[in-house]
Amino acid sequence: MKNIIVFFAALLLSLSAAAQNGKSIYQKYSDAENVSAVYVSPAMFRMIGRIPDLEVGEDNVNLSPIIHSLTGLYILNSENASINSALRSDAERFINAGRYELLMEAKDSGETVRMYTIGNDRTIEGFVMLAVDAGEVTFICLDGQMPRKDFEGLIAKQMAD
Amino acid sequence: MKTLEEIENLSLEELEMKAAENAAPVPDGLERRLRQALAARELAEAARPRPARWIPYASLAVAAAAAALVVLPQRGPKDTFDDPLLAYAEVEKAFQTISEKMAVGTDILRDAEQTAGMPYNTLNKIQK
Repeated sequence: MKNIIVFFAALLLSLSAAAQNGKSIYQKYSDAENVSAVYVSPAMFRMIGRIPDLEVGEDNVNLSPIIHSLTGLYILNSENASINSALRSDAERFINAGRYELLMEAKDSGETVRMYTIGNDRTIEGFVMLAVDAGEVTFICLDGQMPRKDFEGLIAKQMAD
Repeated sequence: MKTLEEIENLSLEELEMKAAENAAPVPDGLERRLRQALAARELAEAARPRPARWIPYASLAVAAAAAALVVLPQRGPKDTFDDPLLAYAEVEKAFQTISEKMAVGTDILRDAEQTAGMPYNTLNKIQK
């Protein structure tokens, strides 16, 4: 009987770990104090994609090629010291539980930024950025089927600007 | 000595009478020893750990929770923006943030490359 309990407990834990994703992290922390949260749903991305002539100003980069491939955006920016540690742990657990690959890590002036992607050589199925400094944690999670070339090109262009 | 056929022909009452005539003597203290043995057995049964009654119910509850996690659809969060243009602006801002953070990494890399190249450049100057 003990074995059965241990089995079910392990099953429950593994299921809850597997259930951890950008959405669950967003739902857990988005209502906390001193947390700014943004969620853009797949439906909203479809609406953005239908905006005719999605032109942007000279200083901005046109995102329309990649907008169509996005299915979800979750942004959490926490300046709440009491939850920062938990948010960071949950995000790291989510990253480690998935097959996310470290794209970049930078440490500068006490801030640590890590970026991860999941997918293959051609397509990025998920992107996560976790920026942590003394009093602030920023979590950005993008879901979709983004062509890697377009995504990297976009980032490179914005960096050049 | 009676034959098997004779024994089979005896009635139940006759059999009981015969058994009572040839009853084996009961050893002294047998009843007391039997009572003691039964009491010891009852004590041992009581001391043996038994599976708690709640375990099957707990297992069922855990299984139900696991099934609920898998089967029940997760309610999604509410969209932050109703206006697609505002949502687009936020997506743009997110990409801007990602680019800025990535630029920090590439700046550090550029500095490191310059630092790493210094000994090489110094050696080149000396050679010239």
